[in-house]
Amino acid sequence: MATQETQQIDAILSSRRAMLAMGGTALAGLALSTVGSKAEAQSTSTFTDTDILNFALNLEYLEANFYTLAAAGATIDQSAGGSLGIGAGTSTTGGGAITVKSGGPTACKVPFTMPLIQAYALEVALEERNHVTTLRSALGSSAVAQPVLDLVNSFVTLGNAVGVSNFDPFANDLAFLLGSYIFEDVGVSAYHGAAPLITNKTSVLAPAVGIHAVEAYHAGLVRATIFNLDQTATALGPAGTLRTLSQKISAARATLDGTASKTPDDIGVGTVQVALQGTTANFPASTLADADTNYLGWARTPTQVLAIVYAGGSGKGGFFPNGLNGNIK
Amino acid sequence: MDTLQSVVRHALSRRSFLAGASGVAAATLVAGCSNDGTMSMTTSPPTSSITDTDILNFALNLEYLEAEFFLRASTGSGLSAADAGTGAGAVTGGTQISGLTAAQSAYLNEIAQTEMTHVRFLRQQLGSAAVARPAIDFTAGFNGAASAAGLGSSYNPFANGFNGWLIGAFTFEDVGVSAYTGAAPLISSATILNAAASIQAVEAYHAGAVRTNIVALAAPAGADQTTLNTANAISKVRATLGGGMETTLVTGLTAAGVVSGTSGSTIVAASTSSSIGFARTPSQVLHIVYETASAGVSQGGFFPSGLNGTIKTTA
Repeated sequence: MATQETQQIDAILSSRRAMLAMGGTALAGLALSTVGSKAEAQSTSTFTDTDILNFALNLEYLEANFYTLAAAGATIDQSAGGSLGIGAGTSTTGGGAITVKSGGPTACKVPFTMPLIQAYALEVALEERNHVTTLRSALGSSAVAQPVLDLVNSFVTLGNAVGVSNFDPFANDLAFLLGSYIFEDVGVSAYHGAAPLITNKTSVLAPAVGIHAVEAYHAGLVRATIFNLDQTATALGPAGTLRTLSQKISAARATLDGTASKTPDDIGVGTVQVALQGTTANFPASTLADADTNYLGWARTPTQVLAIVYAGGSGKGGFFPNGLNGNIK
Repeated sequence: MDTLQSVVRHALSRRSFLAGASGVAAATLVAGCSNDGTMSMTTSPPTSSITDTDILNFALNLEYLEAEFFLRASTGSGLSAADAGTGAGAVTGGTQISGLTAAQSAYLNEIAQTEMTHVRFLRQQLGSAAVARPAIDFTAGFNGAASAAGLGSSYNPFANGFNGWLIGAFTFEDVGVSAYTGAAPLISSATILNAAASIQAVEAYHAGAVRTNIVALAAPAGADQTTLNTANAISKVRATLGGGMETTLVTGLTAAGVVSGTSGSTIVAASTSSSIGFARTPSQVLHIVYETASAGVSQGGFFPSGLNGTIKTTA
């Protein structure tokens, strides 16, 4: 099993923490040739499991607030009877402010007309909040506070990138679905990219891969719902409109994370031709999973994830106007 | 990390647990279940340590099962001889599903292509160590599942259009996710772990899509609940055989509880009450695919001659 190639890749993965500390946006371009730079990389600082969990916690604060605002018109510290902590350590107060619609949190509650989508919003809100709670409990006094979040201007920026003016994910069912689409695949690839960086396999890696699965369940939900609804005309336009938007969002993410000019690490919801028999690709297949042509999910490095959630900003921006809290930022 | 340890203590000493050595782990698995938390877990004496090759071959057996199901449902034919390996076992049952819309066919084709590609990927990773396809019996497997689920003496998911396909897909996908989630922390090589996480994600995407469609069928007022109820009956069987770890599909989740934080209902993500994806040990997966609650069993259900490789006996 341990061929020379796999040993080399192991070496790359084990040194990836160090590479992250190099801060290079060229990280995505690193390949087997970087084995030679391992010694150099090891001379820089590395990230701990705590750093990685806090990185994940930042993303969960973002997701949990988005879904709880959409489903219930409340931020996460307003929900759960105020028991859900957002401060540093175990504090239930002190987290960063959230930019929401001008009417406040209650104005963010989506006026759902599709019960199914509302139910999905409720489920995902609950589960992302559980992820916040789980990670904060795991981190204990090391937990970072909720960072300052922006759920208005960030979406407008990303909307502009895909040709939608003044994008408001809280406006209606379909807008909410697209807002969800922006997040979920990124969450999946972030946990995937972090998994091989984790040192403690039993108490940290195990739950991390469990959360990874749940994020992918959510992403499958969102993508399947887009695929199904979009078979006929929707309020957004004729059949195909939602899929086209998802493809534009995927392309924008690949541009932000630096892979668009190489092999884009993101595929929107649509249809591709596959070769179920022989070698001729003549079976139309959906793209419910955001995966490569070998049907392997993509892994994003923390650096790539940051590039997306900062919407191209340097060190901050997008959903995180002041950057993430913690060492990975 | 103390609290997280308590959340996932079942992961501790998983290698020894695999060998049947940890009654504590078995007990704490129950605590992680959100719904249908029944379990039937027995242990047997330690056998041997598990290598990455063992784990990948275990996964390959499951991918053979999935690939044969989805390929046959899509095209009427299974894996090519080259993909099945030398000395591959026979496959019983499985015919092309008819009466599908274009969108439904696209679902079938995507997942068929996915599982076939996963077989090829794992075979490539394993090289000469790859096991061949074991004998697979969909007729006996689904009939056994139907009987155990109280759905009658037989069930043919290939003869019920898209809804039948959803049931077949539901039967396998969540098990695949929980198998990969459980196996990941057992893997030594970071490269192999990365590959396993890649496949795990795709299995979960598909499991999420399948569960979403089942819920969507049943959600409208007055809609036929047959497919939802069938899926939940199978879920209960999996819970009984596979250590709990099932989330019941429900419709009509309401806002109550979301703000207060008291709602425990989930629909689409199969996960613990902490919303962490279920992790099954290989033995728990074997109990499900062999359709047995007994320890020391090496064949049955969907695998009439058992899995190929070293991980093949229930604990």
